[in-house]
Order: sequence, then structure tokens, then C-alpha cells
Amino acid sequence: MATTHRLTVKTIISRVRQAFPEAPENYIMNLINEALVELGKYNTKIEYAKLTTVADQQWYTLKEQVDGVTNSNIEVNKVYRVDFMDSSGDYVKIPRLLNNEIQTMDID
Amino acid sequence: MASSYNNPEDFIAWFITGDHLAIVTTDGSDNDTIHQKLGDYKPINEAVTNGVLIHYSGEPNAVTAIGNTPDVDNVMHSSLIDYVKFRLYQDKAGISVDSNASAVAMSMARSHEGKWNEATRKFGMKKRDKTGGPRRIMPADLR
Repeated sequence: MATTHRLTVKTIISRVRQAFPEAPENYIMNLINEALVELGKYNTKIEYAKLTTVADQQWYTLKEQVDGVTNSNIEVNKVYRVDFMDSSGDYVKIPRLLNNEIQTMDID
Repeated sequence: MASSYNNPEDFIAWFITGDHLAIVTTDGSDNDTIHQKLGDYKPINEAVTNGVLIHYSGEPNAVTAIGNTPDVDNVMHSSLIDYVKFRLYQDKAGISVDSNASAVAMSMARSHEGKWNEATRKFGMKKRDKTGGPRRIMPADLR
């Protein structure tokens, strides 16, 4: 089975320590995580999630309610498409409202 | 519960405010009651289990152990080394008492920062698409 070349944190630390032999492991890991946050700006990780609607509830907190998991803690950078299930169970793309000014407002 | 919408795209819409997703519908029946009025946007009127499929770009998972592999495309893995070195050289330049050593460290920091910035900029512009084969554009439906 073919494998692709990937660097583990251990490899990155050993490469960095060629120049900085005293650099603490935790500090390097913190810096790697900072870099990953920055890379998150570039749509690096495309994901899908399902959400259950509640009758007469308008608002859904993305972080807490997706995939039927309370406090799923997913970090959504940008939602670019939403589908709704039709009566035959297929997901159909629904339009995005660009003007959020709708007449009714539900605060649940 | 299952959905009763045959054509959800004709009735249901979404929008985002902060980290809150709104699902609204224009479906309704009673013209006398504003909240029920057909055509007005109001909260989704059905409980549908897994009724909404969200497509989103997410934040890469943080690394927590040395055995982890960074949660980004492997083309960016070696650039992570540049980022770490850029920050470490910057630290070194800041704490060094020897002005020459500090200048050399700052120069190295700038070199690694440049490599990191170039890699992220190229990566962001390419939006790596691993799907091969011919492509076509779906014409707009002008009905």
C-alpha cells in the first residue's frame, strides 16, 4: 500500500532542533498550533455536518448542535452551502438570504 | 421526523449571524395571521431529524502530542518548520545581548517569515483541487 510523505510533530521538532537544540517541546507545539490557526483561513479543511431542526426554532448554534452532539465543539470558519432534506430523504440546496432583515425574529 | 417538503428550495432559506445559523421558511397558510402568512420568512416550521446538511470550512485540529500529524494538507507540513523557526529566531533576536547576533537572528527570522508567507499565499490561491478530468459549467436556470 502506498503511503504519502507527512511530517509528524516529532519530525518537525527534530528538524527545528537542528537550529535550536534547546527549544522546549511544548513551546514548539504551541507555535505549530498558532500556524495551524493561521492556515485555517484558507479553507484547508472542508467538512460536512448534519443538524436536526426544531419546529418554530429559527436559530441554531453551530458549535453546539451539529451532528446531534451537544457541545460538539466544532470550529466553523465559513458555511458555504446548506441543504435541506426533502420528503424523499434527499438533501436539496437551499438559498442563502443575503439580507438578514426578515419580519419575524425568534430568539430561542 | 421526516421532512414534508417536496421542494424545500422553494420555501426554505438560511443565513448566518455570528456563529448562529438561521433556518427560515416562507411556507404558511393563514393570510390573516402575520406569523403564519405564506410568503413571509419565519422560523422553520418542522422538526426534521438530521434535516439540515451544512457544508463548511473548519479549523484544523490542534496538535497535542508529538506523535500527531498536523491536520493540514501535507504540502504545508514543511512550511510549519519555517513558521516555528521564524518565531524562534525572532525570540532569539529579542533576548540576545550581542547586537550582531541579534541582527543575524532577525535576518534569519525575516528569511523564514518570507518563506512561510509565500507558502501560505500560494496555498491559499491554489485552493488545491484534487479532482481530475474534464469540467463543465452548469448553465443558470432562467425559468
